[in-house]
Amino acid sequence: MQEELFSRIVDMDEEGSIKLAKEYLEGGGDPQKLLETCRNAMGVIGEKFEKGEYFLSELILGGEIFTSIMEFTLPHIKEGETEKLGKIMLGTVKDDIHNIGKDIFKAFAEAAGFEVVDIGVDVPVETFVEKAKELKPDIIGMSCLITAGITSMKKTVEALKAAGITDAKIIIGGGRVDEEVKQLAGADAWADDAAKGVRLCKELVGVKE
Amino acid sequence: MSKSAQELAKERLARIEAAINLEVPDRVPVWGFGGDIVPTYSGFTNYDMCFDEEKILKASEKFMRDFPFDSTMAGITGLDGRVFCMAFAEYDDLSPNMTFITGPIHDILGDKYTRFPGREIDKTAPAQFVGGTFMEPDEYDQLIEDPVKFIAETVLPRACRNLETPRQAMATWVRLGMEIARSGKFYAEFGKMSAELGYASLPMGWGYAPLDIIGDFLRGVHNIVLDIRRYPDKVKKATEAITEHVINYALAYTKRGTKYAMFPLHLNEYLSPKLYNEFYWPTLKQVILKLYEVGVKSIVFFEGRHEQHLETILELPKGWGVAYFEKTDVVKAKEVLKDHTCVMGGIPISLIASGTPEEIDKYVKDLLEKVKPGGGFILAPGVAAAPADTPIENINALIEAVEKYG
Repeated sequence: MQEELFSRIVDMDEEGSIKLAKEYLEGGGDPQKLLETCRNAMGVIGEKFEKGEYFLSELILGGEIFTSIMEFTLPHIKEGETEKLGKIMLGTVKDDIHNIGKDIFKAFAEAAGFEVVDIGVDVPVETFVEKAKELKPDIIGMSCLITAGITSMKKTVEALKAAGITDAKIIIGGGRVDEEVKQLAGADAWADDAAKGVRLCKELVGVKE
Repeated sequence: MSKSAQELAKERLARIEAAINLEVPDRVPVWGFGGDIVPTYSGFTNYDMCFDEEKILKASEKFMRDFPFDSTMAGITGLDGRVFCMAFAEYDDLSPNMTFITGPIHDILGDKYTRFPGREIDKTAPAQFVGGTFMEPDEYDQLIEDPVKFIAETVLPRACRNLETPRQAMATWVRLGMEIARSGKFYAEFGKMSAELGYASLPMGWGYAPLDIIGDFLRGVHNIVLDIRRYPDKVKKATEAITEHVINYALAYTKRGTKYAMFPLHLNEYLSPKLYNEFYWPTLKQVILKLYEVGVKSIVFFEGRHEQHLETILELPKGWGVAYFEKTDVVKAKEVLKDHTCVMGGIPISLIASGTPEEIDKYVKDLLEKVKPGGGFILAPGVAAAPADTPIENINALIEAVEKYG
């Protein structure tokens, strides 16, 4: 069953994969195993994206399938039973109200085993600092779609450093970021797609593939 | 400064049109940018750029005077309002007027598609398009049956707070008409200022990809991508039904004497070649070809990465127009499209925002060495909006580099 489910997810069979996952659970299947299969499938979808075989629409649909299956699977898994790779605090920076990139990344980061705390869009610099103190994330993810976000990212990183938050690694993501922006902002990593973003987050917390 | 503004404008226009017509211009034309830097450079905010015409004019004039690109994207802030063009598609005297949602129009309509500085967001933030979901999947049949009726009567009352009831709508449309008449005078003033600075005026209209109408204004980007898998036949039929109205809207501009049509695309980057060729490209191609038939060249902004779809551009007739790229490698694009399509783009805005003058000089030199030979190239920023703290010396470095190596 696990192999069948795995390939249905990877092949973007939304209806088929959700049906199969439900049947498996109802038949007394192991939710932990189900979770693992879904995660592996999402990993492969990410890899296919990075290889240029899949595109954004497949990432969105993959995220949708994963979220749908998790809705009825997670209630069967006790808190603390799954090991997390680390905690990511995620938000779209000040003056930018877009969430599509952030949301795609979130689904894939969760599928990879991260705990993700989404602090929203148009997040003021001070909120990033306060929330970082409170949540103590391993990684702070900043998203932006518009070029105004570049300025906000720089200000946010500066404020985090000034507040003494130096343990958390900072990754910036979104359509307008690149190596230049990473250096300007003073971030540790950058990604302009969700698959790369998750791969780099794993590297940042020292997870080996 | 020996050239008159008129001579300068003529020279710039000839330069741009030579590139569009796949000829070798006197030097590579460079298309300028706008963005947050324009108000900041004059000490104004994005709010001012949306609601204060005197300041829009002042800030734009100062920016356009100090940074003499061949053409400019500085100016009046307007966000995509094509859903209104669809609602008015049967009236070609009106539909072009609905192309952009400006600050005052946003106030009048109370639309939920956009967020404006000093309204929903801070005065310093730029106006932003967010779209939304204003149609349910079980309504595709109504959209297919009569797109204009469905959009005008069902979608717009949901998407605009001030169009919720027919009696509200009466007042809103009258107010909108008054605003269009009022702002027309301002646009004319802006045009005059631009001409006095020697900017070339391309007689420009607009087009749109039919599937983007559904993605941007009816179902939202997230949902349309899922709909393509869940209800492929309905999405295809709805896109086809909308196409006729997009064509009528795009053609309406020609009555105003336009020779070019700009297309901002959105879903192209999201789709695999298979989905693109099935759901997106056929109807977009129809619009471009229809315009080409009546002598209008299209300038299509292929947002994001378009490498996977490059070859499809060759299906269009040679000299159809301009392929403007954001993140697609323009060197590769030029190789594929040379002698067929004018290629535009090449400058990552992050380089201007974050690089040094030396880096910019070297970048432009290296790039132009590769793409200048044979003409048919317009240098332009991938995204035409520069951040507020873009270093002034970097903008100058870009202009100087083009003068040197173009």
